[in-house]
Amino acid sequence: MSTTIRSGLSRYTLGLPLLLVLGLLASNADFRQPQNLLNFGGQIAALLIAALGQLFVTLLGGIDLSVGAVMSLSSCLLAVQPDPLWGVLFALGLGLAVGLLNGVGVALAGVHPLVMTLSTATFLQGLAHVVLPIPGGRIAPALTHAASGTWLGLPHSLLWCGAAVAGVAWLLNRSRLGLHFYAVGGQARSAYLNGVNARALVVLAYMACSLLAAVAGIYLTGRVAAGDPALGSAFALESVAAVALGGVQLTGGAGSVTGVVAGALSLGLLTNGLNLFGVSPFMRAVLTGCLLLAAVSVQRRRIVGM
Amino acid sequence: MSKLSSFLIRALALPPAYTGTALLLLAAAWLRPNLLSPMLLLLILRQAAPLGIAAMGQSLVMRGRSLDLSAGGVIAAVAYLLTSGALPLSEPLALLLCLLLGAAVGAFNGLLVVGVRASAVIVTLSVSMILSGIVIALSQFHAPGDAPQLLRELARTRWLGLPLPVLGWAALLLPAAWLMRRSVYGRAMDAIGANPRAAELSGLPHLRVVFIAHLASGLLSALSGFVLLGFVGVGSVNLGAELALNSLAAAILGGVNFGSGRGGMLGPAVAAFMLALLFNFLTSLGLGEASRLMLQGAIIGAAAWAYAWRHRGSGQH
Amino acid sequence: MDHPQAGQAAPRVLLRQVSKRFGSTAALQQVSLAGAAGSIHAVTGENGAGKSTLMKLLAGVHAPDEGEIFIDGVAVRLASPAAARRLGVSTVFQELTVLPNLSVAENLCLGREPLSARMLDRGAMRRQAEAVLARAGISLAPHRACRELSIGEQQMLEIAKGLAAEARIFIFDEPTAPLNRAEVDRLERLLLALKAQGKLIFYISHRLEEIFRFCDTVSVLKDGQHVCTQASAALNPDRLVSLMVGRELQQLFPPRAAERPGAALLHARGLQVGEARAGQDLTLRAGEIVGMAGLEGQGQRELLRALAGLARPRAGSIELIDELGRAHAVQHRHGAAQAVRQGVALMPEDRKAEGLYLDLPIQDNIWLGRLRGTRLWQRARRDPALITRLAERMQMRSAPALAVGALSGGNQQKVMLGRWLASGVRVLLVEQPTRGVDVGAKAEIYGLLRQFVAEGGTVLAVSGDLPELIGLCDRILVLRQGAIVGTMAGAAASEEGLLALALQERPAQAGIPSSQVQEA
Repeated sequence: MSTTIRSGLSRYTLGLPLLLVLGLLASNADFRQPQNLLNFGGQIAALLIAALGQLFVTLLGGIDLSVGAVMSLSSCLLAVQPDPLWGVLFALGLGLAVGLLNGVGVALAGVHPLVMTLSTATFLQGLAHVVLPIPGGRIAPALTHAASGTWLGLPHSLLWCGAAVAGVAWLLNRSRLGLHFYAVGGQARSAYLNGVNARALVVLAYMACSLLAAVAGIYLTGRVAAGDPALGSAFALESVAAVALGGVQLTGGAGSVTGVVAGALSLGLLTNGLNLFGVSPFMRAVLTGCLLLAAVSVQRRRIVGM
Repeated sequence: MSKLSSFLIRALALPPAYTGTALLLLAAAWLRPNLLSPMLLLLILRQAAPLGIAAMGQSLVMRGRSLDLSAGGVIAAVAYLLTSGALPLSEPLALLLCLLLGAAVGAFNGLLVVGVRASAVIVTLSVSMILSGIVIALSQFHAPGDAPQLLRELARTRWLGLPLPVLGWAALLLPAAWLMRRSVYGRAMDAIGANPRAAELSGLPHLRVVFIAHLASGLLSALSGFVLLGFVGVGSVNLGAELALNSLAAAILGGVNFGSGRGGMLGPAVAAFMLALLFNFLTSLGLGEASRLMLQGAIIGAAAWAYAWRHRGSGQH
Repeated sequence: MDHPQAGQAAPRVLLRQVSKRFGSTAALQQVSLAGAAGSIHAVTGENGAGKSTLMKLLAGVHAPDEGEIFIDGVAVRLASPAAARRLGVSTVFQELTVLPNLSVAENLCLGREPLSARMLDRGAMRRQAEAVLARAGISLAPHRACRELSIGEQQMLEIAKGLAAEARIFIFDEPTAPLNRAEVDRLERLLLALKAQGKLIFYISHRLEEIFRFCDTVSVLKDGQHVCTQASAALNPDRLVSLMVGRELQQLFPPRAAERPGAALLHARGLQVGEARAGQDLTLRAGEIVGMAGLEGQGQRELLRALAGLARPRAGSIELIDELGRAHAVQHRHGAAQAVRQGVALMPEDRKAEGLYLDLPIQDNIWLGRLRGTRLWQRARRDPALITRLAERMQMRSAPALAVGALSGGNQQKVMLGRWLASGVRVLLVEQPTRGVDVGAKAEIYGLLRQFVAEGGTVLAVSGDLPELIGLCDRILVLRQGAIVGTMAGAAASEEGLLALALQERPAQAGIPSSQVQEA
């Protein structure tokens, strides 16, 4: 299958979550509790959705550090907007607008993605604090139910994850646009000479990323049932970590939804495991860091640096 | 009018730090003239020193097409080692040890980037996460305390009317600028930034140059930690958390980009001053943290946009 | 403008008084060109003449500053390569546009992917790819990743892609540079088939033998202006060259060395690279230019890069001999840095990606060669007088502060050569010394190489251009499967003789007296 040429998957990407699952199953009885497993989906849903958004941008060799700020601002918007429908529409609109701004800056003006998304993130973070200075606000019950309810025994979180994974996978593997993404990521100039509108694709990628970040923010807000201007603060780096652990080449052109799922799973299993073992949450940062180091050391690259 | 427009065009070609500083000074003159007293400006310069020193390391690494986001972790580690009393050493010895730690972190980053060819973004971020995580975890046993007397003294001292941190910054900046312009290392770095593959084939020591840049960056992060600790007076786990990304912004605003050192060493220094001036200006306008963040983000974005727009087309081949 | 076919119908393509500037350089000045249907129309000229730019206007990559473009009598605006393709223009660019992370089939279908129910129809893609490949006579598996293909295969893929478009106008920009003879023959058949179908093909090339072989019309550009357009039957190579260069080019190649070669500068013993079954011995002496010929992919590149310290040989040793006669071993652990320090340098084939610093000015590109042998902490001494003298010697007329990326191919090659001339290396290993270089600059580069060896250096040049090797070199090695199968003296060499050796025919069979050939 031609998609395996550029999936970025290796035995390490898929092996790590497998190893973690087996290790936890064997060593911790609490892990095996159905309650824990059902909760797990809820824990990683936000990360998975945000990481899928990050995938679009990373496939083109970029990076989006404003993911967390978009999540936080979405959360604040939902908290101050009593009508959930309008709240969701505002949040999604925010995602599209931010993505458009980032994309135009990177593709048309030529600003480096790190700087562009960092400045956007700073701005949005400030805006989040203006909209909702203190965590709280009122989240409509409809949203909390949408995030934390169940349907036929399955937690809604699994449905969110499933929908996101299916949608992104279809787009990247089955559609013409997806092939163009990989082409532009592989060699933007060649793709342009082949008739692909590389710049439009870059803008689309950032819009998709911020849109998914908004979706993740909506989900997470429903789950914690409160608005919080610091909701997404860790997600910018975590989504990059999930993508990197998933074998996606940060220089663009190679990566897959399967990899991102594996990466998000690895991070989620790590947190879950540490919680169950009662290890200090700060060790999580240390272990995540070590995992990441191992993951990138395994990726054989030719270029030195970024 | 055309004289003005040609002046504007040339001004836009300069790194955003210069025009940004000029515009800020004008805005301050208009809205908050007392901000422009030499005394206050000197204090702002002093406040900018940690960022300036970190930005030096960052611009060095960026010119070699790499990146160093580990400053936060290094500073947290340094602050912890110096303030928690976990190291029963004399102050000068502890400082030396921290410098070695900074160098060791830089060397580790460099080894992974150069030897294993891992992505610098991920490596340095991970290292920062690991260091911060260890510091936070250890803080539960030995809480961070007061900064060493030596550092607090040095932060307050003036020599010939200039704050010591500023002199220290200049003492690092001037040799660094000479190094990048006149030494073989600096010229090799120019080539490596422009085309790493051609540099390798021409026999230039690509890997060694990038490794040294990372080593220097780690060392400079530790030094900026010293200055920061001297100002703040107490150790805190969050000390310098934003410094890594801010040093990136300062480098870019100073005209240094990945693989290009057009801004020299002076550009990022001016950008560091500009960012500190911006922070103080916005605070003096009574803006809270939130509005300050918004304006900061907007200004950095606009500056980077204007500079990139002006220079688009060059460097694309 | 004289045009041989003054037919009644509008020409298939008409570019009328088009101009294009890049910054302060006028790449094209009021050029008018018409191409007729059913024609293979060569567009030629020195580098910097504007032929690529002119064709890129037609390909939609650039927009003309002035002038108009007509296709079949209708004025068109070609805003992008996609727009040009929609209007029936298919382009095979000089730079490879094959995407390394896509498969062969995906590359072929890119931009016109078959869909079924809004999804990519991979089965149809595969079938389409197989059909296109079969028509072009190329055997490549559609599912293979393009990053695994050789440069020649990638170029054939490009050509197949160009041909597959339902286009009425084709543009080929230097398509045969990476191709071997069999592939060039195949291309010729394909082009003639297209011509028979009434298509118009613009063929940009420096290769005179190809122009005269299958192009019926030739247009010459010089310095951004149109010189003339004539039927190729009305021209001969010398006349064409003089039209391109604007003067009678008396002599392309400088005279060969009169004296015997001097001391040995490089010894390779038992050197085994790539697929070679045995080690090779090779000696390069001061004062001589040695050429390396052979069919493409026979190990020339690997051998050269092993000598430069860049690639590890499977077996064997390499020694460099310095001014005092001491021998130093070249070890591959240390890569090119040690080799350069010891005095051997490589001029790579792909000068933009591997040889030049395009953003840096000419003076820096040349001067960086002076860093050879220095330590990182030392002061880097500027030497503007040296750069000026060297630039004069190389007949470079551009300002030294100009970025190298803006130069023509010939000037870029000279800058790369200039770096090594300034560095003091004594052994120069050159891949394709004049690829993408116009005739005028070629003569200058040959002269510089000859001066270099006359001053005590030695040159080993790999080239696919046999007449170039015959004209330039004192002796020519022929490589086959990593082994040196024969040596011919440059003065006595002929294309047939070299090819015979490369194809491993017995020289007597090929009609070459065996006294001309030394078999290894």
